[in-house]
Amino acid sequence: MDDDVSNSLRRMSTRARKVAPKMVAALASTDNRTQAILARLEALENDNPGAEVVEPNDDDDASLDEDDDQVYHKKQSKGTKRKTRQAKALETAKKAPRTFLELLHDANLESLPPHVPSYLRAAVGPPSSTCRRHFCTVCGFSAKYTCVRCGMRFCAARCQNIHNDTRCLKFVA
Amino acid sequence: MASNVVVVLDNGGGLIKAGIGGERDPTAVVPNCTARPLSSKKFLLADQLLSPTEDLTSAVLRRPFDRGYLINHDLQSTIWSHIFSSLLHITPSSSSLLLTEPLFNLPSIQRATDEIVFEEFNFKSLFVSDSPSLVHLYEASRRPYDVVSKAQCSLVVDVGFSFTHAAPVFQNFTVNYGVKRMDLGGKALTNYLKELVSYRSINVMDETFLMDDVKEKLCFVSTDVARDLQIARRRGSDNYFRCTYVLPDGITHTKGFIKDPVEAQRFLKLSEDGELPHSEGTEEADQTEVKSKPSERNKVDLTKNEFSLSNERFLVPEMIFRPADLGMNQAGLAECIVRAVNSCHPHLHPVLYESIILTGGSTLFPGFAKRLENELRPLVPDVYQVKITTQEDPILGVWRGGSLLASSDSFISSYLEGKD
Ligand SMILES: [Zn+2]
Ligand SMILES: [Zn+2]
Repeated sequence: MDDDVSNSLRRMSTRARKVAPKMVAALASTDNRTQAILARLEALENDNPGAEVVEPNDDDDASLDEDDDQVYHKKQSKGTKRKTRQAKALETAKKAPRTFLELLHDANLESLPPHVPSYLRAAVGPPSSTCRRHFCTVCGFSAKYTCVRCGMRFCAARCQNIHNDTRCLKFVA
Repeated sequence: MASNVVVVLDNGGGLIKAGIGGERDPTAVVPNCTARPLSSKKFLLADQLLSPTEDLTSAVLRRPFDRGYLINHDLQSTIWSHIFSSLLHITPSSSSLLLTEPLFNLPSIQRATDEIVFEEFNFKSLFVSDSPSLVHLYEASRRPYDVVSKAQCSLVVDVGFSFTHAAPVFQNFTVNYGVKRMDLGGKALTNYLKELVSYRSINVMDETFLMDDVKEKLCFVSTDVARDLQIARRRGSDNYFRCTYVLPDGITHTKGFIKDPVEAQRFLKLSEDGELPHSEGTEEADQTEVKSKPSERNKVDLTKNEFSLSNERFLVPEMIFRPADLGMNQAGLAECIVRAVNSCHPHLHPVLYESIILTGGSTLFPGFAKRLENELRPLVPDVYQVKITTQEDPILGVWRGGSLLASSDSFISSYLEGKD
């Protein structure tokens, strides 16, 4: 992740911040296939994909009261409605924990000398073989065909139709 | 002596294992998260999420961890506080803490963690360790005559919640420059399973707890993917992998369950050629009857909320072995191990291949070790032996190593008594 992305993210509202990484990456690439892969990886990290749409502030809403039972009550969001959008965004930015990718960016591990082991150098890297088995993204069986728009695989016309209707170039699950 | 209590905390991204040093098992094994059930305004945490009567359908989840690292210290300290007071019944100010942290933890995260350990909880002392060295310690003590303890060396493969590490351990220390990481673990597998089921039958995108259960009970690692895909194509009872999972209805049951556990376990009896043994009490004469029954059973009952699984059962864990086939540009587990070994001194290579230890919840899938061996063997020089052992309990292994360390004489003299 580069400077511009992570700095601008911190000023955004919760909702924007959550969707942003994949959108920024998607917009930066001119290639539908890259976008599809990025969106897919992002989806595998998400705990509450549905809640993100219905209750955008929920996951990162750190404004929770604690009671004696050490159980949380969710603060009603009604009270914050009166605040200006900017004040609210500032408040959210202060309270929301920073993501690992933001912390990683701040740690500036790239500046370490090459012989120092680090999170970045421990990454396993791409596979040595370029051979791939292809599975249909709809039904899971071997797939001969590739979608010309997004690069996802499908096995037959039936699965192609489902692919086109439900997932082709749809980035938010 | 009460003042020498060491709290051992294996603080995982998925599960916290917490207990008292010197004991065999942790007192608490609880989810490291809070969740708010749909019907409630309260966030439940840790053990409260394990109650068999709690309906967690579509519960909204919050975790203190992101991609394997602690990012929300406020939430973490709330969960710890609950564990210390309600589950362990310990007083931090008169205890020491042995805490696991992920490999390559960031300095900013370490500082924030130290802060809550000392300033918020007021522990007497803190000792931080990593999973591979604790797993090594535990296995070496269990197998004193094995190469693991004789060579003081092993290769710990930890398939955790957020990521997977292949970590060489030498003389009880994790060899950092040899560690290789795949950004794939139990969480990604559950989310992948959610995607597949949601696209193919019923929307379960918000059912993390439910789909964890489905994954743990029904997924397995295939040792022959091409063959198993063929079997999964068959209709009726000839499809040995098909099984049905019933979703909670919120009235008669608040947890999901496997409709027919016997049917779900059939795959375990498959022979090399992918057939089931004929015996099993079904004589030839009964064949017709037996055949018609299960196919009816296999029909998904639309009045109930249920879904059936077939190739998903092995295509999900397949991601650990061939991430590239599923759209991730990462080497698979076997290659990850080879790269970890190759970054160590060549003298260590044969010993490391001979002492591979599997740990972490995702190694519990049936067939895991066998498949890994099949994939690894061709990548390792013929003259080296490949020996893979799965920990007796891959979820508790790290904690047990920590407990052992906390009760060892050298630990007590150097970290507890030395502090005063
Ligand atoms: Zn298909
Ligand atoms: Zn497409």
